[in-house]
Amino acid sequence: MQADVAVLGGGSWGTILAHLAAHNGQRTTLYMRSPEACEVLNTTHTNPRYLGDSALHPGITATSDLELAVRGTPVVIFCVPSKASRAVARSAGAFITGDQVVLSATKGLEPESFHTVTALLRAETCALKLGALSGPNLAKEIMRGQPSATVVASHYREVIERATQALHSELFRIYGQDDLRGVELAGALKNVIAIACGAAAGLGFGHNVRALLVTRGLAEIQRLGVKLGADPLTFSGLAGVGDLMVTCSSELSRNFRVGRGIAQGKTLDEVVEELGEVAEGVNTTRVALALAAREGVQLPITEAVGALLDGEVQAQEILGDLMGRAARYEIDFDYTAEVG
Amino acid sequence: MRAEDQDRAIAEVVSRVVGGVTQGGSQALERALAETIYHERKRVERGAPSRARTRALAAWDKRRSQLVRGSDTVRRRVLEELVTGFAREVLGNFDPRVHALATRAVPFGLSALLHASSPQQLLQRFPQLGLDDRIEVNGAVEHALALRDKGTLVCVPTHSSNLDSIVLGYGMHEQGFPPLLYGAGLNLFKNPLMGYFMRNLGAYTVDRRKTAPIYKQVLKEYAGVALEFGYHSLFFPGGTRSRSGEVESKLKLGLLGTTVKAYANKLARHDPKPGLFVVPMVLSYELVLEAETLIDDHLQAEGKARYIITDDEFSSPLRVFQFMRGILELDARIYLTLMPPRDPFGNLVDREGRSLDASGRTIDTSRYLCAAGDGPVDDPNRDQEYTRELGQQLTRDYLRGNTVFPTHLVAFAAFAELEAMHPQRDLYRLLRAGAEDESMVFGDLARSCDALRERLLAMEAAGEVRLSRRVRTLDGGDLVVHALRSWGTYHTHSALTRRGDRIDATDRNLLLYYRNRLQGYGLGAS
Repeated sequence: MQADVAVLGGGSWGTILAHLAAHNGQRTTLYMRSPEACEVLNTTHTNPRYLGDSALHPGITATSDLELAVRGTPVVIFCVPSKASRAVARSAGAFITGDQVVLSATKGLEPESFHTVTALLRAETCALKLGALSGPNLAKEIMRGQPSATVVASHYREVIERATQALHSELFRIYGQDDLRGVELAGALKNVIAIACGAAAGLGFGHNVRALLVTRGLAEIQRLGVKLGADPLTFSGLAGVGDLMVTCSSELSRNFRVGRGIAQGKTLDEVVEELGEVAEGVNTTRVALALAAREGVQLPITEAVGALLDGEVQAQEILGDLMGRAARYEIDFDYTAEVG
Repeated sequence: MRAEDQDRAIAEVVSRVVGGVTQGGSQALERALAETIYHERKRVERGAPSRARTRALAAWDKRRSQLVRGSDTVRRRVLEELVTGFAREVLGNFDPRVHALATRAVPFGLSALLHASSPQQLLQRFPQLGLDDRIEVNGAVEHALALRDKGTLVCVPTHSSNLDSIVLGYGMHEQGFPPLLYGAGLNLFKNPLMGYFMRNLGAYTVDRRKTAPIYKQVLKEYAGVALEFGYHSLFFPGGTRSRSGEVESKLKLGLLGTTVKAYANKLARHDPKPGLFVVPMVLSYELVLEAETLIDDHLQAEGKARYIITDDEFSSPLRVFQFMRGILELDARIYLTLMPPRDPFGNLVDREGRSLDASGRTIDTSRYLCAAGDGPVDDPNRDQEYTRELGQQLTRDYLRGNTVFPTHLVAFAAFAELEAMHPQRDLYRLLRAGAEDESMVFGDLARSCDALRERLLAMEAAGEVRLSRRVRTLDGGDLVVHALRSWGTYHTHSALTRRGDRIDATDRNLLLYYRNRLQGYGLGAS
């Protein structure tokens, strides 16, 4: 049986995307590396490692055979951590053909090249009909049957149509967008701000500080995004402020938990170990700082997060540094000049 | 285009253009006609008063009344007539036998062109005047040649000068490439001698004074039909000569888009050789014939810039002569660099004509024209995005294939010095100023040139740019001296002049023009 949708990567978000597609009546394959995990999913319809005993749609077929998952499947969704994306893309590239719609659901940037995931999909496969999926989508809330929405960004109308057909339901609204770069950058960069918010929460700060970090954080990731070719409006949408709101205030967000853990005195390694999943924000912080240096953009909050992750300073000192910066205008009047 | 194909091509073009209009229904037909008649009548009106102009105006008025009173059938017929007229005019009388002769005669042609109005004795003093040993063709020449019998070549060069057509026609022929079909501005045909050669080099005419959208549609469809018929073609995707001196970073995607369409039609027709191979080409000059006019035009206030320039250096035999003399005296080369061929989707193509991905796996390009998991489907939005993808690859290829000469390097370094002297000035104020106390110290400029040269050498090693022999071997001071000599041999004013150990930026527009060739590499400023 030829599937309609293949999801590559059986972490929590990948599993949920497969669940949403199956819920939508799509014949869905979920590619996972571990044959044992596939076996468990196919027999018990659960993914205990990431989603506990939540019941998954029985229409999902898990496989550890990449070719079986990818070959001939009209819609392929990449949902593997950014560090592994290139290797998986290269392997999957052997089976991908030019007609297929290929989406990235990973909110991260490749550490060495600073590439967005769709950029490395373009480099490693022959796929051109590429798109990215990003928005405020906490895995655990979706598994409880709560509604949510996301953005699908692509230059190709066919990609948006196929993604909508595959995923749009009363549980999951899809909004189309053509600022592919902006959506991918917003999705990745917001994780850095989530770490900052987690750190503030870990120090016992309340809502004022969080609101400060969210709005000023949004301003700085937008500044960098625009320099890299994003549409500023994208940052006011679901993939920008929408996603930021959720990741910066929820105990369920991995990146938030990283920040909180460090502020409470744990080391980065301890926190990551405890999480049991990849927190993209850790890597994205370093990429964002390198990009900011290259583009000549100031990112005070991201710099602070970088120092915190490197263990150079204590969380308390950082907030003091941030508050000690000179007063300035909220709206940067040079901003339009930068947009050109 | 061969005589036996011409009628077929015209019929095909007319049916596509007229079909495209009538698809939009009665209103679209009326609009297209009204628009064409309006633009054509305006064009005739702009001409000098004559009996022919009066007759032409009357003819357009008659057509206009036909349009108002006529039925759709009448309108359709009028549109067909107009489009057929445009199509006939566009097609050149291409004859392969004349072509072979014409390309051999190009260096002679140039001499003769000069001879037509410059003093006989000048020619006698420089009997070797010609471009033949000045043009160096390099890069993926063998690769592109290997593809000539495997499908249809689409050569897409950068565009700096009207001499490009001649350099291309001659250089490509010398390397053994087949004749290339291309659209050349009517101004190139104006000189009767040039016109004769241009036409027989495979050129068809593009009249930029014809502004009617239908006319542009005819040009585009003709380019596409020629590709579908398997004619190796050439066009400038930048659309016009680079005004700023920069390597093209924005391309006209309309004409480029004919490649995807032609490929789709070839596949649908089961053409045994459906492959289209896009060959990016970069022309690099140490001196550009029309530099002064082009940069002035670029600096005109937005909107005032002229799309058509008829009174530039190219139309002055004396200037062409001075330019040729400059090139000869400097022992300068004109580089024509071919970059590895791509398919219409931007993928690289091997010598067998197979498209490859980054891991060297063969790509079945016919799948790009299919709906996901399904069969072929027409999707203009998708095809447009493919073309954008190709365009982005081409602009990167152009930067990589561009050859840096001392004039570019020294201008870039000198302009950066000017900018550093006045960090608060915008470009226009920087260009207008010119006091003597703003001069640079020769040694400082030489050091900046050394530093820039080091960066360029590293970039060349990484395949990001190419360097001319002198840039590779000379040190900063010698580069400055050489650049000054280059500008001095040809341009009215040198971009830089030397006074003892001081260097003045005498012609800042010209300096900007040559400096801009290094724009787009992330080397900073402006």
